[in-house]
Amino acid sequence: MLVRPGEKVKIKVKVNGIWYEREVEPRKLLVHFLRDDLGLTGTKIGCDTSTCGACTVLMNGKSVKSCTLLAVQADGAEITTIEGGDGKLHAIQEAFKDNFALQCGYCTPGMIMQSYYLLSENPSPSEEEIREGLHGNICRCTGYQNIVKAVQDASRRLRA
Amino acid sequence: MTYVGKPIKRLYDDKFVTGKSTYVDDIQINSLYAGFVRSPYAHARIKSIDVSDALKVPGIVAVFTAKDLQVKEGIGIWTTYEDPKQWKFLPRRPLAEKEVKYVGDPVAIVIGTDKYNVRDAIDKVNVDYEKLPAVIKMEEALEDKVLVHEELKTNVAFDQTFNGGNVDEAFKNADRKIEVEVTNNRLIPNPMEPRGIISRYEGGFLTIWYSTQVPHTARAEFSRVLGIPASRIRVIMPDVGGAFGSKVNILPEDVAVVLSSIKLGRPVRWTATRSEEMISSEARHNTFKGEVAFKTDGTILGIRGELIVDMGAYLTYTSPIQPVIIPLMIPGPYKIQNISVRSKAVYTNTPPITMYRGASRPEATFIIERIMSNVADELGIDDVTIRERNMITNTPYVNPLGLKYDSGDYLGLLREGVKKLEYEKLKAWAKAMREKGRKVGVGMAFYLEISGFGPWEFGEVRVTETGDVIVTTGGTPHGQGGETGIAQVVADELQIDIDRIKVIWGDTEVVASGMGTYGSRTAAAAASAAKVAATKVLEKMKKFAAKMLKVDVEEVKYSSGEFEANGRKVSWNEVAEFAYKSDEPGVFEQLILPGDVTYPYGVHIAVVEVDDYGIAKVSEYKAYDDIGVVINPALAEGQVHGGATQAVGQAILEEAIINEEGQLAVTYADYLIPTAVEAPKFESYFAEKPHASQYPSGAKGVGEAALIVGPAAIVRALEDATGKRFNHTPVRPEELIE
Repeated sequence: MLVRPGEKVKIKVKVNGIWYEREVEPRKLLVHFLRDDLGLTGTKIGCDTSTCGACTVLMNGKSVKSCTLLAVQADGAEITTIEGGDGKLHAIQEAFKDNFALQCGYCTPGMIMQSYYLLSENPSPSEEEIREGLHGNICRCTGYQNIVKAVQDASRRLRA
Repeated sequence: MTYVGKPIKRLYDDKFVTGKSTYVDDIQINSLYAGFVRSPYAHARIKSIDVSDALKVPGIVAVFTAKDLQVKEGIGIWTTYEDPKQWKFLPRRPLAEKEVKYVGDPVAIVIGTDKYNVRDAIDKVNVDYEKLPAVIKMEEALEDKVLVHEELKTNVAFDQTFNGGNVDEAFKNADRKIEVEVTNNRLIPNPMEPRGIISRYEGGFLTIWYSTQVPHTARAEFSRVLGIPASRIRVIMPDVGGAFGSKVNILPEDVAVVLSSIKLGRPVRWTATRSEEMISSEARHNTFKGEVAFKTDGTILGIRGELIVDMGAYLTYTSPIQPVIIPLMIPGPYKIQNISVRSKAVYTNTPPITMYRGASRPEATFIIERIMSNVADELGIDDVTIRERNMITNTPYVNPLGLKYDSGDYLGLLREGVKKLEYEKLKAWAKAMREKGRKVGVGMAFYLEISGFGPWEFGEVRVTETGDVIVTTGGTPHGQGGETGIAQVVADELQIDIDRIKVIWGDTEVVASGMGTYGSRTAAAAASAAKVAATKVLEKMKKFAAKMLKVDVEEVKYSSGEFEANGRKVSWNEVAEFAYKSDEPGVFEQLILPGDVTYPYGVHIAVVEVDDYGIAKVSEYKAYDDIGVVINPALAEGQVHGGATQAVGQAILEEAIINEEGQLAVTYADYLIPTAVEAPKFESYFAEKPHASQYPSGAKGVGEAALIVGPAAIVRALEDATGKRFNHTPVRPEELIE
C-alpha cells in the first residue's frame, strides 16, 4: 500500500475488548494512538527509545513496548492496556498495593503489564526469573525488591 | 488503633495500579503542542533565525524566538536557601538571545496543533550560527581563557572559603598527612516521568498544570518573571512521576510555554522527551582536592583543600545550594575541629546542574568517608575503628563551621549497626571467598545528614459535616507516600479511623501556602504542621462538644471518637454535624509551623562482586539508620531501597557523558539506570531507640539517606574486592579489570 505524506490509513484495532476504527498517519506510534486517539492514558511514555518499558502493553497476548510499534502495525490486533481490567483489581494489582511495589507510580502500568505477561508464560517464576523478566522495565523509585515481592505474591495468589 | 510506627498501606494506590493516575501529559485538554529548537553547539553566536519554512508546515501556529518572548525578569535562584549577593550570575531568559551556551540550549519555541507536525517544523527552523570557542571541563573553565558569559568577566560564579578552628596549627601538630582528590562525576536525576507543563491564560488569570514538587514556589517565581501578581496565577501539581529534587527547578522552556500561551490566548502544552529531560536537569559534578592531617592513632586533626563545583552554563534555581552546603557538611559526624575549604563554583558550556536527591550531602559524605577510609588504609586501621576514634560522642554539637547537630548517639549506632548488619562476618566471608579466587568485597560507610530544611511548612485540618477529615498540606508528595504518613499522624492525633482522612496537596488555589517536598523534610515539617493543626482542631471540637453537653470545655474528655463529660457522651460525628450546622461550617485550623534543620544518621554496608570482565554487581545492601520517629517503617524502607538503588547507579553505572564538543549522551542506551537485574537485595533497619527531631512528629527524614551514604559504602566494597583504590564515582569496568 502506498501512502503519501499527509495521508492517513484506516486501521481497526481491538483494545481492551472493544474494536476501534480510526484513520491514522502511518508514522503514528501505537502509544500515541492509545493515549491521544483513544484517550487511554494509563500507558505512559518514559524514554522514547524502547528502554524503560513504561509503555508496555499486550499485543495478541505478548508484551510489547508501544513506543516501538506503529499504530498501523497493530491493525487487526488485540491490545490490552492497564485499563483492560474487569472493574475489580487483578491479583497483580492487589499484590503491587499490598507489597509497597510502587512509589511515584509512573512505571507501574508498564511494570504490571510486563508482570502479567511474565506470569502467563511462567506461573511460578524464581526470583532470578522475575528479575530477568522485568529487565526491560525501569523503576527509578522502589529499588525493585518490593516489585519482585509483589510478583511472587501475585504468582501465589493466581495459583491458589 | 494507632497508626504511627506501623506499615500502613499507601492510601491512594488504586489509581496508579489501574492506569487512572493523571500526570501532566495525561491531562486531556484542548491545547496546542510546543517543541523547542535547540542549539547543536556548545557555544555559538546566533547570527540569524529564519522561521519561514517552519511556518509553512501544516498545523503550525507560531514560532517564537527570544525577541518575541519578553519577560520582566529572568529566572533567578532559590532565595529561601540561597543568597544572590554571593553569586555572579545572569538571570535566565526563556530563549537564547545572542548566544547559545550549551548543546541543547533552547533557541526557538514551535507551536502547533499536532505533536508530530511540531517536530517536522522544528527541523525546518534555520538558525545561522557562528561557532565560538567553548569550555567544557570545569578545571579549564577556571582559567578564564574562554568565558561562558562575557558580561561576568569570569567563569567563577562563587568563591568562598569556609574556615573553622586553626587548620595551620593542626597540620603543624600532625604526625602524618596525606593528599586526597575526591570526585563525584556528573549525574542525571532522571525521574521516570519527564517534566511537562500546560499553561492557559484566560481573563487575566493564568492556570499552570505543572510537573513540579514546589507549586507555591513556582507560582512566586512565575509571578516575578512574568510580572503577573501571584494571586492571578494558579499552579496545579497533578500526579508527579518522581522528581528527586530535579523538579524544584524552573526551566526557561517552562517560561517560554507560559509566555506563548499568553501571547496566543490559547492553552499550550509541552512534555519533555527523555533527551530533553536529560538536558534539563543534571547533577553533582565536583572535585575536592586537599590534604588531611592526622595522628598515628587515626585521630584526624584537620582538613584543608579546594572544592570545584561545575554549574553548567547557567545557574539554575537550585544549583547554588551545593557549593555552600558541601563544605559545611564535610566534617560530618566526626569531631574534626580544624577545617579550611575554598569552594568555587564555575560555569562551563554544558547543560546546567540542578539539585538531585541529597544535593551536597552525598558529595560531603563521599569526601569525608573517602578521607576516613584513605587514612585507615594509610595507618592499617580498619574502617570501624577509624570512625570510632573520630566520632562525636555528645549531642547537641556545634561543628567547626557552625552547624548545630541536634540529637543522636552516633557512636552507639555505629557499634549497634555494624553488629546488626553482620559486618565483621561478611568481611570474613569475603576474605575467604577472595582466597578462593572470587572478587567479592564488603564496604561500610557512615553518614550524618542535614535535613528538614525549614523555614516552615503549612498544614490545615478540616472536619466535614460527616466527621470525615480533610488534611491540606504544604508538603507535595510525589511517590514517597508522605500523604499516608501525614494521615497516620493526624489519625492518631484525632483518634479516628485513617480511612476517614483525605490528604490534599499541590494546588495553589486549594492549599493556602506551602514549601513542598524535598530535602527529606515531609515527615518532619509537613506532618508536624498537620499534627499541630489537628491538635487545635480537636480543641475546637471539644468546645462544640461542651456546648452540646452544656458543660465547660475543661470538663470535656475525648477518647477514640467520643467526647464525654459527667457521664454523658456525644460522638465525634455528632459534634461534627452540630458544628457544621452552627456558626462554623467545617471546623478547621490552618497554620504555618516554623521549623529548622535536623540530622538523621546511619551506617550502610554493601557487598559487591566483580566478574572477569570488570562488571561489578552489588549483591547485597544493608542499612541501619536513626531517622528519628519512624512514622511508617514500610514507606521509610522504600526510601532506603530507592535511594540505595540510585547509589548503585552513581557508584558503578551512571555518568552523564559529555564529549569534547559539549554533546551530552542523551538516551538510556548511554545513561545506565539500574534495572531489577542490577539492583541489590536489601535489608533495612531503623534504630530501636531513635533520637527524635525537635519537630512535633519527632521524625528526622529518610528520603535521601541511602543516596547520601550509598556511593561511599559501595566504592569501599569495590576496593575490598579488587585491592585497588578509587576516590571517584562512577567506578568503571575498565578500572576494575586487571
